[in-house]
Amino acid sequence: MKGSKGSGARWIKGAAFAALSMVSSHSWAGVYDAGKVFLTGGVFTVDGGGGGGAVPWATITGYETRDGINGGVGFTYVSLPNYTLNFLGASVGFFDRFELSYMNTKLSTNLSNVDTVALVTSVLNLDTNLGLDPNGSNLHMETYGAKLRLFGDAVYTSDSFLPQTAIGAYYKVNSTKEFVRTLSAAKNKDYEIYAAFTKVFFRYSTLVNLTVRYTSANQIGLTGFGTCDGGHLNCENDKEFRMEFSAAYLLQKNFAIGGEWQQHGNNQKHKSVDVAGLLDTDASGQSLLTNGVGALVGGVVGATTLAASLTQNESDWYDVFAAYAPNKNYSITIAYLFLGDIAVAHEQNGLYLALHATF
Amino acid sequence: MKSFTRNLMAGAALAMAALASAPSFAAEQKTSPILGITSSALEEFGGRDGVRAWVESLFYYIMLDNRIAPIFREFGNVERQTFLNTQLEIMVLGGPNEYQGASMSAAHADLGITMSQFNAVVEAAYNACERNVIPYHSCNQLINALAPFTADIVTR
Repeated sequence: MKGSKGSGARWIKGAAFAALSMVSSHSWAGVYDAGKVFLTGGVFTVDGGGGGGAVPWATITGYETRDGINGGVGFTYVSLPNYTLNFLGASVGFFDRFELSYMNTKLSTNLSNVDTVALVTSVLNLDTNLGLDPNGSNLHMETYGAKLRLFGDAVYTSDSFLPQTAIGAYYKVNSTKEFVRTLSAAKNKDYEIYAAFTKVFFRYSTLVNLTVRYTSANQIGLTGFGTCDGGHLNCENDKEFRMEFSAAYLLQKNFAIGGEWQQHGNNQKHKSVDVAGLLDTDASGQSLLTNGVGALVGGVVGATTLAASLTQNESDWYDVFAAYAPNKNYSITIAYLFLGDIAVAHEQNGLYLALHATF
Repeated sequence: MKSFTRNLMAGAALAMAALASAPSFAAEQKTSPILGITSSALEEFGGRDGVRAWVESLFYYIMLDNRIAPIFREFGNVERQTFLNTQLEIMVLGGPNEYQGASMSAAHADLGITMSQFNAVVEAAYNACERNVIPYHSCNQLINALAPFTADIVTR
């Protein structure tokens, strides 16, 4: 009997033991590390990497030091007058040197004018796909990120002005291609690169960060990249350098308040929603859309006003935030956002809530 | 001739006094954080006695932390550490340099301290501030002043 057990069974046992010890905390303890000081990895940004709310910092995500790996998952909810955003993502920091991140973003619109366009399109049975839904249209984007710390230590080199410096890149894929095209963007997927400089000034218990991003994104890519004229003609997708700034004041070792500014481009300024000729007017000043709206909703929405309301604009983003890390396993960030004009909606200010769980 | 001797003696005494103000045993110097520290930092810690009480709390928290307690148990006599750290902290907080210990690099050279272990001491430092009711902002003045020693202490 003993002989019939064979070397195969022993091999399987050995493999099982090896697999077990791989996941056992004892073995894992060799690489797992949570030695960083509170909040010094930054919180969870809307792009997925470590930083403030919108601005990526030079700090590497997670609580690992240069001897280990750490990371986490995060969820962010944003409520604006005409938009609701959900962000779900994960990020991992390696040896306080390198960071990988992923973010899945969904933006739901609550825009009566865009819904009306969708309704008219579906009622008129036009075969152009505008990517719109009469019951509320959605935008969806996935962001893949990587960041490399080049030099400097944001926290401990208090006798030098040299900041912690990192470079990073994002690749953003907007899967709602038709909607992005309707919003007159040139591309639905593109990359961004950035350099970030972060420094903690203990004298004033303050963290300061400056980021320069090379991008052509509209609303961080949620409404695409670059711009086209009506009918997807004369497309331009020229990247430019944009500035971003964060400052955080630490009230306690695990509680910070601060603000951010993120410069945005305005590729879609004065561009109308590209509704494939629906807005083209004939000699009498009537268009397919205004006729359709007139027939559908009559005086409820002024048809001409509707056409005018479909003009887009973009503003720089501002926010004020409070971040609290009760312990090293989670942090909560509450912010108030001043996002200005987003696509066809004005004055989009609202609440931001982010949860970040770290291991 | 007598006055010459007296002058010589006075000169020697002056030289001794000069030596005393910059003692030869001072193996560590004050750090110079870029924006400085608040001028009232030492006072905010409760003066010399306050610093001594803070260092005692610091070692209380260090010895409770399994990540770092063994190092101090093996290599450091806690009473001596408390004595020397009090001198070091008084110095970096703006007090006189009376530090009698070895330089930070010499004292830690063979210990192979990791960043995690260093950060654990920083956590103990903040806990000690809370225990001794030293405001967070004041506590940061000490962290600010000690931070430049990081590279000397963390060798692994």
